Amino acid sequence: MRSRLPVLRSRRRYMIFELDLEGDSSAIQAKEVMSEIASSQFSLFGDQGASKNRLRLISFDGRAGIIRFSHDHITETRAALAAICSIRGIRAAIHTKGVSGTIKSAREKYLPRLDKLKYESDGRRIEREEVSGCVIRTHGVKVDLCPDDRNKSAGSDTEYLGLTSFDLSGGHEDADGTADGL
Amino acid sequence: MSFFEFAKAYPEGSSSASRMAYTARHLGYCGVIILSREPERIFMPEAALMIKGIDVTFGAQAHASSPRALKSRIGSLRSRFHLVAVRGDSDETIRMASEDPNVDILIHPCDARRSMTIATARAARQNQISIAFDLSPMIHLRGNPRARWMEALHRNLQLMRKFDISPVITAGAVSHLDLRSPRDLMALAEVAGFDPHEAKEALRLPGRLLEYRRRNWVGPGVEII
Repeated sequence: MRSRLPVLRSRRRYMIFELDLEGDSSAIQAKEVMSEIASSQFSLFGDQGASKNRLRLISFDGRAGIIRFSHDHITETRAALAAICSIRGIRAAIHTKGVSGTIKSAREKYLPRLDKLKYESDGRRIEREEVSGCVIRTHGVKVDLCPDDRNKSAGSDTEYLGLTSFDLSGGHEDADGTADGL
Repeated sequence: MSFFEFAKAYPEGSSSASRMAYTARHLGYCGVIILSREPERIFMPEAALMIKGIDVTFGAQAHASSPRALKSRIGSLRSRFHLVAVRGDSDETIRMASEDPNVDILIHPCDARRSMTIATARAARQNQISIAFDLSPMIHLRGNPRARWMEALHRNLQLMRKFDISPVITAGAVSHLDLRSPRDLMALAEVAGFDPHEAKEALRLPGRLLEYRRRNWVGPGVEII
C-alpha cells in the first residue's frame, strides 16, 4: 500500500563512488563505510542537515559502491564523501564517479563492467639510494611500498609510499601510464 | 575544463610525483603542479613526465628562515620555475610575499587569530598575486577546529571579494590519498563558503597563470612570439 501521493514522493539520485584504501580494501565492510559517511555528514551538516538528505548505502563490493540521496543535496553529499580521510583508522579516500537518476543507469554509466587489473601482493624489495623498502602490492603501474625508514611518510598519516613503476625504472619510454601501454 | 591542482611529492610528501600525476589524471585534472620547498630533491621527476594525458609542471614553494632571505630565494627561484608560491607561515612572510611581484601565489592560512589584513589584500591586488586557500583542514579536521577554520575562511573571503582578488583552491595533497576530484573539491569549497562560480574559477586559475608565465616575456607588455 502506498503511504504517500505520487506528487509528494521525494526524488532520489544515485551516486557511484570508488574507495581508494591504503592496504587491503576487502577488509572493509559495507557497514563501516556507511558509518564513516554518516559520521562525516553529521559532522559537516549536523543532525538537521543530515535529516533532510536521507542518505542510504545501496550496495558496496569492497571497491565501488552506490549511495542514494535526495535530488537537491548533490553538493552536500559530494562534500560529505570528499571529507572522509580514513575508515576504521586506515587512510582512505572516496572518489565519486557520477550521479544518475536510477540505479540501473548509474551502474551502466559509471561502474566499470570488466576490471582486468587486480591488486597483487608482492614481496620484492627495492634498494635504491633515495628509497628502500618492501613492495606491499601492485595494481597496474601503481606500486605501494613499505619504506624501511618509517619517518619517510611522516606528516601525511600514511603507512606506505605511493609510487609508480616508472619511478622504479620499470616503465618503458613509450608507456602511456596505463597497464596496456607498458 | 582545464582544472589544475597543487601537490607535494616525495620526499616532502609520501607519494612520488608520478603517482600524484597518475591519480590526478584518473580524477579528471588537466594538470598537476608539484610544489616543493626543495625542487632539486624531488624523487624521479622524469618519471612524472612519462605519464601521458596530464600536464605535469614543477613549481617551487619559496621557504626561508627570515623575510630578507625569503626575498632573495624568491628572486633566484623566479628565473628557474614557471610558478613560485609562498606559504604564509608568519605575518612577516605574508607581508613580504604580498609585496613581491615575483610571487605568483600566496598560500594564506585560515587562522581566526591571524586573519587576512587589508594591507595584505591591497598589496596582493596591486602586485597581481593570487591568494590560495588550502582546503585540507576540511578533510582532516572534525568538530570545533574545523568550525574555527571555516569561520576564518569566511572572513578572508569577504576581504577577497571586497578587493576583487582571484582565489585559488587546493586540497594541499601530500599523498595521492589526499587528492580529490575537481567536482568534489568544488563541493567542499561551496560548503566552506565559496560561490559555485568562484570555486570553479579558483580551480582554473593556476592553469591560466601557468599559460601566461610560459610565454616569453622580455619586459612588461613585450613578448617574443
